[in-house]
Amino acid sequence: MTTNGDAFQVVPVRHVGRWIGAGFVTLLVAMLIHTLFSKLPSGQYACRLVSGVRTCRPISVWRFSWTIVGQYFTTSEILHGLVTTLELTVLAMFVGIVLGMTIAVMRLSPNRILSSTAWTYTWFFRGTPVLVQLLVWYNIAILYPVLSIGVPFTHLTLVHFTTNTVFSAFVAALIALGLNEAAYMSEIARAGLIAVDEGQTEAASSLGMTRRQALRYVVMPQAMRVIIPPTGNEVISMLKTTSLVSVVGVVDLLGAASNIYSANFEQMPLLIVASIWYLIVTTVLSTGQFYLERHFAKGALRSPPPTPLQRLRRDVAGILSKFRSRRGKLEVVR
Amino acid sequence: MSDAMVEARAVHKSYGGVEVLKGVDLTVVRGEVTCLIGPSGSGKSTLLRCINHLEKHDTGELRVDGELVGYELRAGKLYERNDKQICAERSRIGMVFQRFNLFQHLTVLENITIGQIKVKGVAPEAARAKARELLDRVGLYDKERHYPSQISGGQQQRVAIARALAMEPKLMLFDEPTSALDPELVGEVLDVMRDLARSGMTMIVVTHEMNFAKEVANTVYFLDGGVIEESGNPREVLTSPKTERLQSFLSKVL
Repeated sequence: MTTNGDAFQVVPVRHVGRWIGAGFVTLLVAMLIHTLFSKLPSGQYACRLVSGVRTCRPISVWRFSWTIVGQYFTTSEILHGLVTTLELTVLAMFVGIVLGMTIAVMRLSPNRILSSTAWTYTWFFRGTPVLVQLLVWYNIAILYPVLSIGVPFTHLTLVHFTTNTVFSAFVAALIALGLNEAAYMSEIARAGLIAVDEGQTEAASSLGMTRRQALRYVVMPQAMRVIIPPTGNEVISMLKTTSLVSVVGVVDLLGAASNIYSANFEQMPLLIVASIWYLIVTTVLSTGQFYLERHFAKGALRSPPPTPLQRLRRDVAGILSKFRSRRGKLEVVR
Repeated sequence: MSDAMVEARAVHKSYGGVEVLKGVDLTVVRGEVTCLIGPSGSGKSTLLRCINHLEKHDTGELRVDGELVGYELRAGKLYERNDKQICAERSRIGMVFQRFNLFQHLTVLENITIGQIKVKGVAPEAARAKARELLDRVGLYDKERHYPSQISGGQQQRVAIARALAMEPKLMLFDEPTSALDPELVGEVLDVMRDLARSGMTMIVVTHEMNFAKEVANTVYFLDGGVIEESGNPREVLTSPKTERLQSFLSKVL
């Protein structure tokens, strides 16, 4: 800003409260980091005999047993558990998404039987804890020892097998997680479908599209923008919910860790191993979610948000250009 | 072939307990422009939506191009048409909405090709060629890569007209096509519609643009309270209204 052609120096507002707050938080974080990398006395002593005199000093070990964490981080048992966890997450989400979409479409159907069946499904599977559902599916053979497909109310059967041959712990876990997820996914999908303006469906019908075509080419792609972010959350949530399956004896990531620590009593290091793996996978998933959201934002935003890579490039370019222009000015002065 | 593209006889339509159309009679001649005017809630839009079966009329006879809308007469019985037949009927009737209703996730070009490809089974390359030709016709050949949110309301409405025309309709319905536009953008849309009328397209236009009606329409219908109060040549009807209702309506809008 200038008056009479003189330039004034601009003094920004000082945010004292923010600075104090930031300082306090920094202190707490520093304390936490210190405890992560501090040592504890192990209760054991290292002694030496030097010219007839025995000197002892206490041995200290890492509080978080980082060496043990490193030792178990990539053992085959842990990695097998990780693979099981990933398999369960992917398969259960697949079941959840496909079934959830179907239920959402049923729920919005003008047919009362379809819509009320969908409502009841969601009511039931959202209304009971997933751990209970897991245990029920694991013990389903008690209720239905034999599975057969035939004509209701007659003795005609087409397919026939005993339940326990099909329902391994893994399959029971998969079904429990998948069906439970479908209930949540159906609500997410329904919200997405409702969020698309009715005019879009009308415009599609006016072009002669059938209900199914309008749903597939016009409504669904736009609903995706609303559906993707919460679905990303569901995937991440599912990744962690799979840890429940160790209750019915499936050796997932947590199951593998607990198998190991029940043998060597190193609970904390192995729980840390499992936690780090969960964090790594979650981070990868969040990154994927970002790009997926960006893809489906097409047309909804005038310009899509920059990817982290683009932002980095822009920042670097910005700094470089500042550097260059400053140099350019100097040359002019010279 | 009779020269009536649309014929309505005593068409009734109720929502819940409210009767919106109370026996409407109307004839739209092939190749002519018909304007529907009237206060809001008079049933203009409902009548338009009944014509392409977005709404189902309750009683009365409604024919488009000689065929009953939504029903088929066989051996003295009216058979309700199934979804597929209704969709086929609709694909030959273009509709332009007040709020454009362009597909937000598709580019301008894709908006115009999707109906051709998915409904008519046109090859994508041919569909794109036709779309470009239509975009040129509505003066937007340079916007094909834009998304609807990136262009103005007037441009969106012109794309919407091109989208409807891509289906090669025999009849075009316009539901207050300029009501959602900023005043300075109304002209460009009306120009496209004027051009379309000149090319011989049969059009039914629900509008509040009295000058457009006067200039372009062959016939104007004044609806009020679900019935047609007055109709005829726009210059006569709009300059010397016979009924008191039309007089008071015109004094408000002009």
